[in-house]
Amino acid sequence: MSLEEPEPSTQLDVGVTDDGLDYDQIEALIDDYVIGRESHVNAEGFVIRPDDVQAVLSTLKTEAGFDFCSCVTAQEYQDRYESIYHLKKYDDPTQEVSVVVPSPRDDPHNQSGAEVFETADWHEREAYDLVGIEYDDHPDLRRILLPETWQGHPLSLDYNQDKPQIVPLREHANPLQDDKRSPSDPDTMFVNIGPHHPATHGVLHIKTALDGEQIADLEPDIGYLHRCEEQMCQQGTYRHQIMPYPDRWDYISAGLLNEWAYARAAEDLADIDVPEYAQVIRTMGAEMSRIAAHMLAVSTFALDINGDFTATFMYGIRDREVVQNLLEDLTGQRLMFNYFRLGGVAWDLPEPREEYFEKVRDFVDGLPEKLTEYHDLLTNNEILQMRTVDTGVLPPEDAKSYGATGPVARGSGIDYDLRRDDPYGYYDELDWDVVTEDGCDNFSRLLVRMREVEESAKIIEQCVDLLEDWPEDEREIQANVPRTLRPDPDREIYRAVEGAKGELGIYIRSDGTDKPARFKIRSPCFSNLHTLPTMSEGEYIPDMIASLGSLDIVLGEVDR
Amino acid sequence: MQSETPLPDTLANLLGLDPSNPLVLFLVAVVASGVIASGLLALVAVSGIWGKRKITAAFTDRIAVNRHGPAGILIIPADALRLLSKELIIPEGVDRPAWDLGPLIMVFSALAGFAVIPMGNGIQIADPETGLAYVFAMASVASLGLVMAGYSSNNKYSFLGGLRAVAQNLAYEIPLILTGMSVALFAGTLRLSEIVAAQSTTLFSLGGLAIPSWYAFVNPFAFVLFMVANLAEVGRNPFDIPEAPTEIVAGWQTEYSSVYFVLAYLSEFIHIFLGGAIIATIFLGGPAGPVLPGIVWFLIKIVGIYLFTQWARSAIPRVRIDQLIEIGWKGLLVLAFANLLLTAGIVGVIA
Repeated sequence: MSLEEPEPSTQLDVGVTDDGLDYDQIEALIDDYVIGRESHVNAEGFVIRPDDVQAVLSTLKTEAGFDFCSCVTAQEYQDRYESIYHLKKYDDPTQEVSVVVPSPRDDPHNQSGAEVFETADWHEREAYDLVGIEYDDHPDLRRILLPETWQGHPLSLDYNQDKPQIVPLREHANPLQDDKRSPSDPDTMFVNIGPHHPATHGVLHIKTALDGEQIADLEPDIGYLHRCEEQMCQQGTYRHQIMPYPDRWDYISAGLLNEWAYARAAEDLADIDVPEYAQVIRTMGAEMSRIAAHMLAVSTFALDINGDFTATFMYGIRDREVVQNLLEDLTGQRLMFNYFRLGGVAWDLPEPREEYFEKVRDFVDGLPEKLTEYHDLLTNNEILQMRTVDTGVLPPEDAKSYGATGPVARGSGIDYDLRRDDPYGYYDELDWDVVTEDGCDNFSRLLVRMREVEESAKIIEQCVDLLEDWPEDEREIQANVPRTLRPDPDREIYRAVEGAKGELGIYIRSDGTDKPARFKIRSPCFSNLHTLPTMSEGEYIPDMIASLGSLDIVLGEVDR
Repeated sequence: MQSETPLPDTLANLLGLDPSNPLVLFLVAVVASGVIASGLLALVAVSGIWGKRKITAAFTDRIAVNRHGPAGILIIPADALRLLSKELIIPEGVDRPAWDLGPLIMVFSALAGFAVIPMGNGIQIADPETGLAYVFAMASVASLGLVMAGYSSNNKYSFLGGLRAVAQNLAYEIPLILTGMSVALFAGTLRLSEIVAAQSTTLFSLGGLAIPSWYAFVNPFAFVLFMVANLAEVGRNPFDIPEAPTEIVAGWQTEYSSVYFVLAYLSEFIHIFLGGAIIATIFLGGPAGPVLPGIVWFLIKIVGIYLFTQWARSAIPRVRIDQLIEIGWKGLLVLAFANLLLTAGIVGVIA
């Protein structure tokens, strides 16, 4: 079409060379705005003025192809506030760039990036809520995790933790008053879905305005499960005290995947090499976690669609139990694994090894048959197809703008998987495929999860083969890591792994002590949940419930 | 086996009273109704509290209650006590008489439907000429209770559930009754005992085995239609939309607790059994069956249909409300009319 501006592909590859990004070329692109450079461990950071955020982000997005705003990290220094926009490319997440926006300490504010990346909306609200930076031109700058009445910003330096806070009950909207939310349509009805509702998968509150059975307006209200995870991590030592926390973010068996997120970030920060043998064990354990997480996602999705007496849910739980037992054998725990250590894992495979391998193989071998059963019960069922095909549509452009990752992005046809695109662990040595579906609807997301279980099983099988043949004297499970880890001061890193729900990223800034100065968690569920209004407005209530189920959020990870 | 005299008359004769005396008839009818209602409640207690758990557990690969008494059967009194001893929470702003009456109407409409059902061994309270019309009418009164419950609860989920219930019942009642009418066309009567009697002739013999002319065999199409419409009528998957716990919490029954919850729960089960009784009567030859007494066969049939609803509940996804309306008005209604025309044609040709 002539109306579309032709965009030469060469332009989107600014600075791309064979050995990584040439940041000078990128800097040349935004030369007018850059006032300084920082070197982070993962990428270069361009320091810009607070009023140039939109210009820089949109230039980087449209002219350099950085179409993924992975995370916005806000923090307070002794002399300034700072927001960091971590940008990536969906095509190649190893191409990263950080946009660092300092703002004065007495009046911290900078321009909002929400115009350019929808996902920045929520990230900036969180930054405002917890750190206290104001974002100009933000569409809706309110607190997101804490109650509206909260005084102070907990992650700012002068926050008084002992100050009593009053949270009045009026924060809970009275469902019986103020019915007509939309002045243009007086027939709408406001209804609270959650925080206690059978289908919100946790304490999520969705403020919904209904037009008949259809959704006129919808706003997820989160924060009910906010447990100050970032702050707790900032108060723990790198070596031992942080690792138990990741288990508590996405607690639906994705524990090992979360632990890997922290392990990866901290190991890269402190230059720790993990022995290959430990990497294989990690890979196997992580994929078991993924299977357990996806199985729960699939079975609760059945619960949402079929109703609460469905057999499918219990089948899913029954089969998930097997992998849960395998994880228990491996880690000694069923829920809070705490199995990874910086530089390796806590202990070797359970003895006798042959017996364990046998169990794992039995599980993997039995999986295809079970999956066939699920396909019979779910994806081949015409009523389920009627319910899920073409409902909850999330077009790929929206998915990218909202920073959706994981099965949600892959269900919208976005071929993005950090295990392949930004390899870590042992994934690049193994033979497996990234699953994508082009339907963009609830059905595709379901299908992606079910197919990913197969791929994970493939990975586990290969890991077992490797571990079985591993020479006994080379079974090194732990690198040599100092008892007290003190990374060099002022090193900053943002590293992500492919969690069960998508890109789980950790930003750490070290200050030379044994505890991180800033620990920021980029939760995939947080960004994925942000897409819910796009998917559901205009749809029926049941489809919204189905979409919510297909997003597979865990409130522990959304709220942190 | 079939007794032509209704149960009250039999009772009166047994007691040596004169059934033609209206007062006597009234009294024995009350006793007879009490006997049947108690029987039904016992059936609900067994199947609703214990059976349902066991059945669902069997479908979902679990064990369910097994500690109280043999196979957990003593859970029935325990649960009854538990439910009745709970606090009855009356939410602020409920529309009192309507809110109280809703569950009562639902239970009693379903119970009243049983008055005309011939259950075999002479267990039938009354046998009016318009039996079939009466039983459908009674089954539909429950919709009124649903609306009352939904509307008066002062809760938006209940409200949505109540509205859904009306929309659903409108969409399904008509195909249901039209399909029932095709049976009336075959039998040439609305009197239930005569419909049952009309099914006792032999349809054809299969290797010495006489297949009776049950309307399920005579017109399987109508039978399937009726079974589907009945699932919607009793609100079971794929049509449990008025409750739809994952969407609207519990629909019209969200605000009911304690005894009222028991009533709502009871009414659901009695409704399922009434649906089963209608199906058994007009499609499965009522209490007819070899060897065993009629009442046992009748119970086997309605429990069989109850099992079918439980199976559907465990296995089938729920359709969306708009899809349900579409299935009802554009699918089943058309099919029900086609079935009616077909039946009329066949009956006209034969007669």
